[in-house]
Amino acid sequence: MISLKDIDRYYQSRFQRTFVLKGVDMEIKSGEFVSIMGPSGAGKSTLLNIIGMLDDPSAGEYYFMDNPVHKLKDKQKTEYHRNHIGFIFQAYHLIENLTVYENIETPLVYKGIKSKERKAMVADILDRFNMVAKKDLFPDQLSGGQQQLVGIARAVIANPTLLLADEPTGNLHSEQGEMIMELLQELNKEGMTIIQVTHSEKNAQYGTRIVRLVDGLVREDIPTNAKSLVAE
Amino acid sequence: MNYIKIATRRLFKKGEHSATRIISLAAGLAFGILLLAEVLYYHSFDSFYPDADRLFVVHENFKMDKSSDKLSSYASTSGAIGPGLKAEVPGVEMATRITHMGTSVFYTEDQKKYKAQFILADEFFFDVMPRSMVEGNAKEILKSPMNCMISTKIASEIGGGVVGKVIELKEYPGKKLTIAGVFEELPENTNYEYDVVVPLISIGKFMWDGSDNWLGNDRYYTCVKLGKGIKPESLAPAVRKMQEKHQDIVKLEEKHGGMVLKYTFKPILKMHSDNLQDIILILSSIAIAVLIVSLMNYILLTLSVLISRAKSSAVHKTCGAQPRNIQQMIFSETAVLFALSLVGALLIVLAVKPLAENELGHSLGAVLNPIVIIPIVGIVIFIMALISYLPARFFSKIPVVSAFRQYKQKKNKWKLALLSFQFAGAAFILTTLVIVTLQYDNLKNSPHGYNTEGVYFGSTSGMSGSKIGTVLHQLRSMPEVEKVGLGACLPIYGASGNNVLSPDKEKELFNVADFYSADENYLSILGVSVQRGEMFSEKAAVRGDVIISQKGAEMLKINNGWTEGVVGKDVTITEHGNTTIRGVYSDFIVGSKANPDSRPSVFFYRPEAAFIKAAQKNSAYSFKIMVKVHSTAQTGVMKKIEKVFNSALPYNDAVIKSLSLEQGKRYTKQRGFRNAMVAGNIVILLITIIGLLGYATNEAIRRKKELAIRQINGAKFSDILRIFLMDLELVAIPAIIVGLVGAWFTVDKWMENFASKIPLHWGIFLGCSLFILVLVAVASTINFTRNANQNPVDALRTE
Ligand SMILES: Nc1ncnc2c1ncn2[C@@H]1O[C@H](COP(=O)(O)OP(=O)(O)O)[C@@H](O)[C@H]1O
Ligand SMILES: [Mg+2]
Repeated sequence: MISLKDIDRYYQSRFQRTFVLKGVDMEIKSGEFVSIMGPSGAGKSTLLNIIGMLDDPSAGEYYFMDNPVHKLKDKQKTEYHRNHIGFIFQAYHLIENLTVYENIETPLVYKGIKSKERKAMVADILDRFNMVAKKDLFPDQLSGGQQQLVGIARAVIANPTLLLADEPTGNLHSEQGEMIMELLQELNKEGMTIIQVTHSEKNAQYGTRIVRLVDGLVREDIPTNAKSLVAE
Repeated sequence: MNYIKIATRRLFKKGEHSATRIISLAAGLAFGILLLAEVLYYHSFDSFYPDADRLFVVHENFKMDKSSDKLSSYASTSGAIGPGLKAEVPGVEMATRITHMGTSVFYTEDQKKYKAQFILADEFFFDVMPRSMVEGNAKEILKSPMNCMISTKIASEIGGGVVGKVIELKEYPGKKLTIAGVFEELPENTNYEYDVVVPLISIGKFMWDGSDNWLGNDRYYTCVKLGKGIKPESLAPAVRKMQEKHQDIVKLEEKHGGMVLKYTFKPILKMHSDNLQDIILILSSIAIAVLIVSLMNYILLTLSVLISRAKSSAVHKTCGAQPRNIQQMIFSETAVLFALSLVGALLIVLAVKPLAENELGHSLGAVLNPIVIIPIVGIVIFIMALISYLPARFFSKIPVVSAFRQYKQKKNKWKLALLSFQFAGAAFILTTLVIVTLQYDNLKNSPHGYNTEGVYFGSTSGMSGSKIGTVLHQLRSMPEVEKVGLGACLPIYGASGNNVLSPDKEKELFNVADFYSADENYLSILGVSVQRGEMFSEKAAVRGDVIISQKGAEMLKINNGWTEGVVGKDVTITEHGNTTIRGVYSDFIVGSKANPDSRPSVFFYRPEAAFIKAAQKNSAYSFKIMVKVHSTAQTGVMKKIEKVFNSALPYNDAVIKSLSLEQGKRYTKQRGFRNAMVAGNIVILLITIIGLLGYATNEAIRRKKELAIRQINGAKFSDILRIFLMDLELVAIPAIIVGLVGAWFTVDKWMENFASKIPLHWGIFLGCSLFILVLVAVASTINFTRNANQNPVDALRTE
């Protein structure tokens, strides 16, 4: 589903290039649950953004479902955002002036789904996430865990094939974090491909595979149950 | 998505500066649009006539001889010119001539009193400048003597059923006019106002009939309609031919070497605006300054707000929004704010309506015509598009990744650039205002060369000649009254002209402002005294003797070689014949300083008894009674004088005026204009302050963390504030200089219209700059301090 070939990402300042990612090769198959780990500043978010087509690699090739992303126009990338990719963020990034309901509804609106259908879909997911009572509240009226639930609901409402999560539990208590991770695992079991960035070995264990990134280089890429050689 | 609903929700959110943005934009729009509408209104004059673009007013361009180097041009011609042009010049489709009878009080048969502007017009008047008729047939009425048409306004004042009623003008007792028709009242935006039209064929009943003269008696406003596509300049040869045929112009030119007399055509649509170029210049500059300043302020505040929302734009994108969707979202937010600002602007205009109408001298309703509305709507739409489009575009361009990486404008240069527009605007308008005000006060308050203090006057119009003596006596026996004099004209209202002839009476030497008759008291009240020769008196002068102003004396000396002086010499002046010069007085301001009449002036002697005799002989003859009161007189004295006048007026309709107040009124145009500037200045300064406050707040918040770290590292808050202010003032200084240069050019151009100008002292410019600089410093210090001066630890924690 995802194929990264020799991806570089660097920032060009006046005198020098700073590499954030260097020669990253990676294949991710449909249905995988990958955890990207590594120290702060290693380039994890950058990699996730490139996979999510929010950022462009400086060099290399990227194929998403066999389509060359590096050749796509912005408009086509938007089509992928609408139909195939959902995002979850550490800081939730809910739209503050929209209600819970409206936040969750947003991707459906951009996808062009009819109002009636939207209502049914949002009602379903609110029900599933136990948030029916909160639907008319604004984000700042919710706890962090609840906000992240809304974030996930919004990310998955359009039923994306790929879910990208950048430290989804980073701002949460461990209890809330566990709940979120369980939810992600459930979604993965239903067939959704998930890539998460995490600092926690425990959270990484929810996935099927761990990629360790250091200074923009892939140091290790192993299944969850294999023994890590680099983890301290 | 329901963008409008969400946009409305944003309105009430904190940190959106919604109220500030709306208020400053509303104030700017209200004022900018009001001024622009005023300027456009000037251009809309007479546009309501059908085919207005084909209507031209005939101008007479005249130069006496070689000695005068400038052609003077007047919008009036002799009576035969109009019909002559139509008959002799192909391309002139229609022509009409009209002339003023003046604003006059008239009476109906039931002794009720009304006031109206009367004109005399030939039968083609309504063909060229049509009005729709409510009653009667215009063509027929204009052909029948002593009939008249009145406007719907006058008709409704009189009450229904006016046709057939007989009216009588106060100035022309016994000359009865029958109302035969009613026409639709003229809109306010016309150059030639009238309420009552009297057929020109009746002119002989009221005054000397020169309606078919080819030369002289050039009192007619002549308006022609040209054929489609005819350029007025192309008619010159045919006009010249007409002059050769009827005026014998070739012979005239031979006789008076260097004489020029020609006729030109001025588009009726330009008649008004051409006279107001100076005001149009300043008003439109201010309007544009106000609009730009308020727009820049709006964009500044909006962009500041949008930056804090960059993240939400990125979130929308991850949800599948295209740049177009984001633009729509921002666009609708702006649209809601703009709509509210427009409503606000409308409310402001309504609130200041009485004030504005008073200052502008016309109703705001009169502005609602296509020439004004269409450009204004265009401008509003343009502004709306601009302020909606720019932020929307800017916002949708923020890249997603950088938005997520704590997107904060690293640079604030663009904010300073936007602010600099406001500084430039504020400096421009403040400086212009100060100079215009100084110039206005200079005009009004500096001496005019004659006395106005304690002087009141009224007309004998409508007074029976036999009662004037009693009135004078009663006035003189009032304890408050110092002196009473009689005269025909007043310096403030200007004077008509006559020509001074050469001793052989062959040549007209120069034109004089003719004040006609005055007695010695009249001149003494005005403080006009002779420097050479002797003032009029029963002993030293006879009726018809003349005194002439210094300028006229000089011209006589040069033209006639009278090196020993002019006193005692005989001159011939048209309309007056041969007369002896008794004295020479200093020139005073004829008309107003804003629009001075630079001709020399003359007064002819007429003793009091002669005035009274003339009035007894001819009931239409009237003059002014001028009363000088003691400086101790109370304000009620005007009422007392009025009572005395009324005792001799059958309808008790005396109007007594104060000379100094009337003189002040000559400057209403300048005053209204100055007040428009004061209002503009307040609006711009307010908007600038609002912009600065917003900027200082945003900067303080944006740099909170940086400031906290600096403070922790030992910087004093005052140091930080100083750096902040320095940055700001460094932008302000060049902007202010730009504003000053703009003001200098504008004012310099405007002052071209005045004979007496105040010097453009550098102190004015320096003072205004300092004022703005201090304002900038104070306003921004207050808000910067309020928002930034907090515990650095708190600042870091909330980050
Ligand atoms: N726009 C940018 N300009 C310069 N450097 C950047 C930019 N974005 C990210 N970086 C740098 O790239 C490196 C990797 O960032 P990131 O991918 O966010 O790391 P992390 O692994 O902590 O998520 C960091 O050192 C960061 O400073
Ligand atoms: Mg990161």
